[in-house]
Amino acid sequence: MTKADMMALMPLIILAGGSVLVLLAGAVRPGGYLYGLAITVVVSALAWTIAVPATVVMPGLAITPFARFFAVFLDSAGLVALLMATGYNKRRGIVGEEYPATLLFALAGMGAACAASDLLMLFLGLEAFTFAFYLLVAIERDSVRGGEAGLKYLLNGTLSAAVLAMGIALVYCSRGTLRLSELARQPASLEPLFLAGVCLILVGLAFKLSLVPAHLWTPDVYQGAPAPVTALLSTASKGASVAAVLLILPLMAGWRGGHDILWCLSLATMVCGNLAALVQTSIKRLLAWSSVAQMGYVALAFVALPAGGGRAAIFYVVAYAAAGLASFGAVSILSDGSDRDAIEQYRGLGYRNPLAGAVLAVALFSLAGIPPAAGFMAKFAVFSAALRAGEIALAMVGVLTALVAVFFYLRVVVALYMRPVDGAEAAARRLTGSEALALAIPTLVTVVMGVYPSPLLDLLARIMG
Amino acid sequence: MMADLHLLTVLVFFPLAGCLLMLPAWKCPAAARSLALGVMSGELLLALWLYASWQGLAALKPALPGYLLVEDAPWISAFGIRYTLGLDGLSLLMVMLTAFSFCIALAVSWRAVGEKVGLFLALLLAMETGIMGVFLALDLALFYLFWEVMLIPMFFLIGIWGHGRRIYSTVKFFLFTMFGSLLMLLAIIALHLLHARQSGVTTFGLFELIATPLPAGTQLWLFAAFFLAFAIKFPLFPLHTWLPDAHTDAPTAGSVILAGLLLKTGSYGLIRFGYPLFPQAAQTLTPLIYTLAIAGIIYASLVAFAQEDMKRLIAYSSIGHMGYVAIGIAAWEPVALSGSIIQMANHGVTTGALFAMVGMLDERAHTREIGAFGGLWGKIPLWSFFFLIFSMASVGLPGLNNFVGEFLVLAGTFTKAPLAAGLAFVGIVLTLVYMVRLVQEVVFQVERRPLPLADLDRREICVLAVLALLVVWMGVHPAPLLELIHGPVRLLTGGVP
Repeated sequence: MTKADMMALMPLIILAGGSVLVLLAGAVRPGGYLYGLAITVVVSALAWTIAVPATVVMPGLAITPFARFFAVFLDSAGLVALLMATGYNKRRGIVGEEYPATLLFALAGMGAACAASDLLMLFLGLEAFTFAFYLLVAIERDSVRGGEAGLKYLLNGTLSAAVLAMGIALVYCSRGTLRLSELARQPASLEPLFLAGVCLILVGLAFKLSLVPAHLWTPDVYQGAPAPVTALLSTASKGASVAAVLLILPLMAGWRGGHDILWCLSLATMVCGNLAALVQTSIKRLLAWSSVAQMGYVALAFVALPAGGGRAAIFYVVAYAAAGLASFGAVSILSDGSDRDAIEQYRGLGYRNPLAGAVLAVALFSLAGIPPAAGFMAKFAVFSAALRAGEIALAMVGVLTALVAVFFYLRVVVALYMRPVDGAEAAARRLTGSEALALAIPTLVTVVMGVYPSPLLDLLARIMG
Repeated sequence: MMADLHLLTVLVFFPLAGCLLMLPAWKCPAAARSLALGVMSGELLLALWLYASWQGLAALKPALPGYLLVEDAPWISAFGIRYTLGLDGLSLLMVMLTAFSFCIALAVSWRAVGEKVGLFLALLLAMETGIMGVFLALDLALFYLFWEVMLIPMFFLIGIWGHGRRIYSTVKFFLFTMFGSLLMLLAIIALHLLHARQSGVTTFGLFELIATPLPAGTQLWLFAAFFLAFAIKFPLFPLHTWLPDAHTDAPTAGSVILAGLLLKTGSYGLIRFGYPLFPQAAQTLTPLIYTLAIAGIIYASLVAFAQEDMKRLIAYSSIGHMGYVAIGIAAWEPVALSGSIIQMANHGVTTGALFAMVGMLDERAHTREIGAFGGLWGKIPLWSFFFLIFSMASVGLPGLNNFVGEFLVLAGTFTKAPLAAGLAFVGIVLTLVYMVRLVQEVVFQVERRPLPLADLDRREICVLAVLALLVVWMGVHPAPLLELIHGPVRLLTGGVP
């Protein structure tokens, strides 16, 4: 490994090393400072990624502009989740160094997955961060819901890992190589074994993206996990999985069947996700189903890959992640102290807790795709890619399901601002600095991306070349 | 010179700046009210100044033929979206109406809104930005953005400060409008892509897209999507069901803006975008538009006759009045179109005034039921006097404003579609029936319930006097306004400016 390789890999090394460092430091002297340490680690990884624009290809890993973009995106999400967790975990009695250390490990895994240049590294990266989430979901030891969620996630996750591994094995059987660049070189006719392998890989990734019908774990896990963990799980892990899908899709470019599979996944996800969200009464479950539905639009962008869908997919997932972090962050603040989870219990909270309420409202408008929030630009990008690819029917379905979505997102906004508060409740506590920052960053990103998306779009155009 | 001042940007975003300034004034209602008053009257002054100098601006001959001021800058180059604003006579009339209606809305809610004043006024200002943007945008994507943005404040306005089944009404309003808009969004993107495929230029600019030759079938589908969005806002029968609910449950300021402006965005969109972009498809669907408009006029009049709630009655009368606007647009002929545009402004003023007056009565009596009143002429003569004026204007009494619009619409339409014009004329008689019933039951007759009512105070008199003067002025001397829209109408209907 040369010095240039080391320089390029440094963000991953910082994250993985930081994870070990936090664990060791926690063993020597436990305390709240560990969160500060973890935040420092993430910030330095972020700064390094931005400051050292290296493009390096080595066995297994390729630090390309694509990988670096995702590294910045995922590390920022991780940073926001850490800021959110600092206060939340203290109040909920989640102590110990495991939380920040595992989170750093998850970020390292995501970074590796996005930079993978062969299937083995992709698998390792994906499973590394999924493994970290098994721990994080169940980290609240006294919570029954948390335990249940952890188990469900573990069972589903290992199943998907098995499917993914099987797919990789089949691909290797058929081609004798794991390099993505070599696999993308298509022979005249695709061999069935190879296609079976690619399909299995796609199924494994569909689990991670919670595309219908591989979505059943999502509501239970999102509801049971602590809110900051759900925030990260529903955004960064989705972002890394989108990157993984974008790395895999060239393998089946030109195969009509691949298009059809994605088409069906997208249709089913948009319809099921949005319809199921309609009948939810718990806010976390509503957001969980909404995140299922949102991935349907990302899948729509995958369908339109030849017509610029890749850029639309990334833009969409970034916009979604900003709104997701903001919404779960706001929920983690609005629900604290009590186990407030029913939408009904959010009555009038917009006035009691103005900042968190407004952040939740902005996030929901963004998820609903209403301008000037980023969600609108994201839907705009996806729908124009879909129409350019000639997917008129799917775009129509997308638009109509988006209308359904408007209804359930509005329900929460209605509860926040329009329902009378019953009984006088104690005034909301003041937010700490880190909480306010964790709410402000994704909200600002949501608004700026909605009003002035040009820089990001141009950057993505360069990355996707 | 004047183009360098970015007056259009100021016109659009000055209220938004006021909305942000509202944050420090959050806790103090008096400061918030003064701030809103300052911003809104500043906006009105700017609009009036533009009106006063429009002939001078026209003489400067800016980039686009027929336009007085144009601003153009790249915005989202990846999609080919530009920030293009343009002001012509039609836009200027709508801009004046907007700035004026917001001042009225502020004045009528001066005392009526006592809770969360800062939030209320911030939402009003944000909405003013959205509506100004709709009336000035010349880039389809930009237009769509403003079109959606103006919904959000209205959603909160009805939902938080409304009455009755406010949440049901506001959600219904939002979903109805979103439904139309989303399909229009697809149509906008499709049009953009078709243009890009033909010419290789990615643009959402209105004037580039107008030149796109489209096969008849495609054109019909795209126009249908646009038309649906506009018809819901209009609202045309049978897509009108959101309107009575939204109007009835909205706070007075909300009703004034709904009637005065939001409905106009539908007709404005049809005039500015729908017809020019898809002329053949529009021709094909013209009989349908006539039918819906006339069905709407007759249906709304009959339903209005049966209403017990004054606000609901006026809401239904709105559907009827907007039907005339639709007929005038469908004729697509200079006289009728001028009539439609004048009628848009007239309806904004008259119906806005009627809603404001019902709101004032509601504040005093805490009911809007027609059966509760009677004999108000003797009890609150000033209120009754103004109510009589606006009711007569609404009916279309010659010499008052609505007469001008309706007359032009019918005269213009008669040359193109005599049957439609004839049926619409019958509608005017029906309007007379229900308005006379309203006035007779409320203002005259004998007192039915002993309600302690105080007559108008000075603020209310000022507001209503301004409105009444406008009603008379636009009725007696509409020539300046007609002259203002003459050029744009000629251009739209295919003439030279």
